[in-house]
Amino acid sequence: MSSLINTVCRSHRSRIARIGIALGFLLTTFAFAQNLNLRPPTGAVAGKAASLGVDGSGSATLYLMGPAGSVKRDIQLGNEISLSAKELQAAGRYVAVVCSGDCSSVGFFVASSKPVTLTFLVHPSRAPVAENDAISGVALAFDEFHNLVMKPVSLRFELSAKGVPPISRTSETHDGIAWFRSNSGRSAGPLQITASLTDDISTRRVVQEVASVPCNLRIKGERTPKGIVIETDPVRDCSGNPVPDGTVVTFTAKGSGATSSVDAPVKQDVARATILANGPVSISAASGVAMGNELRVGGKE
Amino acid sequence: MKSSTSKFWLRSLSRAVILFVVAFFFSPRASAADSSPQVTLNVAKVAPREVETLTQRSIVRDYRFAWANLDLALESNSAGPLNGLFVGPANASLNEAVRSQKQNGITSRYLNQSHKLDAVFYAPEGDVIELHDTAEYDLEILDGSKTIHSEHAIVHYVVLMTPGADRWVVRQLQSVAQF
Repeated sequence: MSSLINTVCRSHRSRIARIGIALGFLLTTFAFAQNLNLRPPTGAVAGKAASLGVDGSGSATLYLMGPAGSVKRDIQLGNEISLSAKELQAAGRYVAVVCSGDCSSVGFFVASSKPVTLTFLVHPSRAPVAENDAISGVALAFDEFHNLVMKPVSLRFELSAKGVPPISRTSETHDGIAWFRSNSGRSAGPLQITASLTDDISTRRVVQEVASVPCNLRIKGERTPKGIVIETDPVRDCSGNPVPDGTVVTFTAKGSGATSSVDAPVKQDVARATILANGPVSISAASGVAMGNELRVGGKE
Repeated sequence: MKSSTSKFWLRSLSRAVILFVVAFFFSPRASAADSSPQVTLNVAKVAPREVETLTQRSIVRDYRFAWANLDLALESNSAGPLNGLFVGPANASLNEAVRSQKQNGITSRYLNQSHKLDAVFYAPEGDVIELHDTAEYDLEILDGSKTIHSEHAIVHYVVLMTPGADRWVVRQLQSVAQF
């Protein structure tokens, strides 16, 4: 190479020219690459085989870099390169590189396949009855390779409880997601919520609807040798559902310039307490924001 | 006089050219390799739930950390950096990507990352958020020490994040041709 350059450039003025030629040679060398003209697959779908077109001749090395793995294998140029279904399971962007001395590359996308599973999140697990927007659910559609299906699909949400006609609504996924929000029912008990793609592809969740806060407290009582025994009528919410055992009812007694109170849990729908007072007293009850009637009990004889 | 001046300039030019060639081919490539990913989050169009300010900060922080470790995992072919940051399908995919790279003697690097996140869905109970990430980075793929692919890429990702014990984790990281 140096002799070639020296032959061409003899005088000292051509030093610049020699340098220029050397640079040009280097740049030409690095600029030159075998153009393999890679042709990517079009419309590739996850889990389906595809092929990559490549020109040229001789042997080369294929690298396939995908979202969930990479492949490296020897290939013959000039043939269509098969990409197996397993190599294309993950949806997303792939880069195919073919190296034969120098390397050429091309990118392409693999779309998700048809939806076959649903991920369904429902909240809460227990909801008080008769409350607006108390229950919500989010459903996501995935294909068999756990790729999120971005193409809109139609989902049906169905809410059914005992003794009540089921409520059904259809929603289309947007960006892979569909969601709903609903009021809770008036009766306590399990509420079954189903998200369905088809009759065969559905997921079910259960929300336990429980009694809301106590409503319309009523008390009755009488003086006994052991004290004033106070008892509530069956404690229910405003929809008539019995409140759960353990709900606290506070009894307050006022008399002779003194006030005392006692907390009693509901057991089998009723709360009971015994208040010690000799003189006449006025007794009331409260639970949450619900107030009961006032009971006047005369003094001890 | 004229001849000595010319010689001086010729010598200077030739030295400059040689220095340029040497610097171009032998300088370290990753001058910005130490910079962590740049992440911004836009919540203007999110529904049905608004993203609280503290949640926004957490998501940006945790997403940046996830991508920094994704690069580290694929550069070092070690799945360790992915632990606790990726769960579910994202974790499975990336673990397999690391395993197969290692098997084939390949590494990859995601340099100079920039992520513009748009929150498009935030569940009513706050248990899942969907983000659209317009990611920009310099991707390098190496077979051993030889670079077989290098590009400046702009890639769109659909991201699902869910709240973990002490951070938001990436559950789905799926690139798409367009949003």
